[in-house]
Amino acid sequence: MSLALAVMILLITAIIAALALFLCATIVQLVKINQGLAVVIGGVGEIVQKTAPVNGVLDAINGNLVAGRNLLENLFIKKAGDDAGGLVESLFPGEGAKFLQRVGRRGPVVNTGIVYTRGTVILASLGRGAPIGAAHAKGPAVRDPKYATTAAAMLYPRPGGDPRARPKSPVVGSNSPRQYEASATPGVRPRNRDGSEAPPPSEAPDMPTGRVEIRQPEPAAAPPPSSGGGDAPPAPGRLNVKGARPWER
Amino acid sequence: MIWLWIMNIILVVSAVLLIGLLKGVLGAAKSITPTIDAIAGVAGAISKDLDAVVVLLTTQNYISQIVGSVANYGGSLDVALPDA
Repeated sequence: MSLALAVMILLITAIIAALALFLCATIVQLVKINQGLAVVIGGVGEIVQKTAPVNGVLDAINGNLVAGRNLLENLFIKKAGDDAGGLVESLFPGEGAKFLQRVGRRGPVVNTGIVYTRGTVILASLGRGAPIGAAHAKGPAVRDPKYATTAAAMLYPRPGGDPRARPKSPVVGSNSPRQYEASATPGVRPRNRDGSEAPPPSEAPDMPTGRVEIRQPEPAAAPPPSSGGGDAPPAPGRLNVKGARPWER
Repeated sequence: MIWLWIMNIILVVSAVLLIGLLKGVLGAAKSITPTIDAIAGVAGAISKDLDAVVVLLTTQNYISQIVGSVANYGGSLDVALPDA
């Protein structure tokens, strides 16, 4: 066998060995990939299983919310009328036109928040007498937007009035002012209300001391003999008991 | 004889090319395995996070009750407020 033939056989053998080696390693890696994908497919199956009822639940929630929104929008349109778009525009700028488009109405959207203070239209609808509707919406503002708060305050004054006119809270404690002049004798006013000197008390004032003195009742005189000889009915007594108490005798 | 040597050279070049290509395939296969493991971990975490989806049923119940209350409130407003 020549040398060239031997080298050729050796090269072919080496090529086949390299092919087998790399292909086996590739097969091992593919098996690992297969096992990993099996794990992933299990997790994905769980995800699909857990998210299966989400569509139905979200559809139900969406349906409820849409029904509530339609109800409130219809009520709003019913109560606010043509000002509905303007009210929405005043609260959510840029949403008035969308609101009208959604409810299938047309017309200009006048931002009522520019002309009136927030809530004035609602108060007016409640009958609180806000001066709206006196002019056309396209005309000049009924209220001055700059002093709208003052106008509203004049319409609806404070329940407690002007706080500057309210009496101040009394000062209590050790720092409280002395409003009364102390008298030497209890119950005796040192000076009159007009500031003049009060006359000195001539005698001890008849003041209740709180004591209760009990006196022995005096023996009643014998009743005179009746002329008729019989027992006359007694005079009708008083119905109240005033004077019967010991301290009232 | 000369043809044999030429064939030998061709075989050597072919072996080098073949080994290079097989090495690339093996590297690509090896790079897929950690990616699969990462995806499996993420899928498990997502599956765990989705355990809270059951709470949506409670939310649905609450929203249904809230919409009912809003409907009652709207009915009261319809009676209380005058129409435009």
